Amino acid sequence: MAARGFLNLAQATEAALIIAALARDQAAFGELVKRRQGWARALLRRMCNSHAEADDLAQEAFIKAWDRLRDLETPAAFPGWFRRIAVTTFLMAKRKQKAIFEEIDDASPIASEESTPEAAAGAKIDLEKALAKLSDAERLCVTLNHGEGLSHSEIVEMTGLALGTVKSHVLRGTEKLRRLLEPAT
Amino acid sequence: MNDFDALLKRSFAEAHEPADDGFSVNVGRGVARSEAALKVRNATYAVGMAAAGATILYGAYGLVGAFGQEILATAGLEVARAHSALSSAPTVNTQGMIQSLGAGLSQVMLVVAVLAGGAVVYRQTQD
Repeated sequence: MAARGFLNLAQATEAALIIAALARDQAAFGELVKRRQGWARALLRRMCNSHAEADDLAQEAFIKAWDRLRDLETPAAFPGWFRRIAVTTFLMAKRKQKAIFEEIDDASPIASEESTPEAAAGAKIDLEKALAKLSDAERLCVTLNHGEGLSHSEIVEMTGLALGTVKSHVLRGTEKLRRLLEPAT
Repeated sequence: MNDFDALLKRSFAEAHEPADDGFSVNVGRGVARSEAALKVRNATYAVGMAAAGATILYGAYGLVGAFGQEILATAGLEVARAHSALSSAPTVNTQGMIQSLGAGLSQVMLVVAVLAGGAVVYRQTQD
């Protein structure tokens, strides 16, 4: 409750909310969650195939963030720090589900989605539906690369995957999305 | 970056973000539960530390009861020897002083160990 005296939560900056949350102010952290929940849930929804699972993971990630706030070096680092927690939470959940992130079968065709009725008809497929057609690993790497703007090496550092694996997932995932999203010519 | 990559980045940037349909309230409840669990853990830890401290004190009390007089006598003797070593010669009797310190070293180390152990326990309770 350290900052309650001077902090109007709705008007406070994110940095002020984080500083108050560091002093274990649950209301300030609640305001931070309100502001960041859209971004966090959208990120996890892109990585998961299920909205319900993504929201559960987002909730788990926020609670972990509350427990580990002392590890946050500066308020400005919050987005990247929280993204890492969200990705780690996602990876742990997928590992429990025995999802495979490392194996790449380069001999397999990139995609057969171009023959889907939507693509054949040149219909517009929204991003979320297109992402759902990718593998877990491709979705993760494409979302972090194109959606969050992380470099391949940053994805390697965050996920623990090999650089070649990340590059392949991004390339193949992007190629699949191109076939799904670009209108048939 | 080609046109499609730019389109993809724009699609990600413009993608719909879910509304807060009770999500932040659920997180708030989760945080409150986490805090409550932390308090229970801390209380359990404090009770455990108190029990351990009481056990150590009880053991130390037993030891002092059994060997206290002997320890005090040894310590007194060593102090007397050290004093004698320092005062018996016009020049410092280094050999005698070292012997005295060596003989009293176990008591010194015991005290240092107790102080260090206490400091470690204190730091842990503060963490």
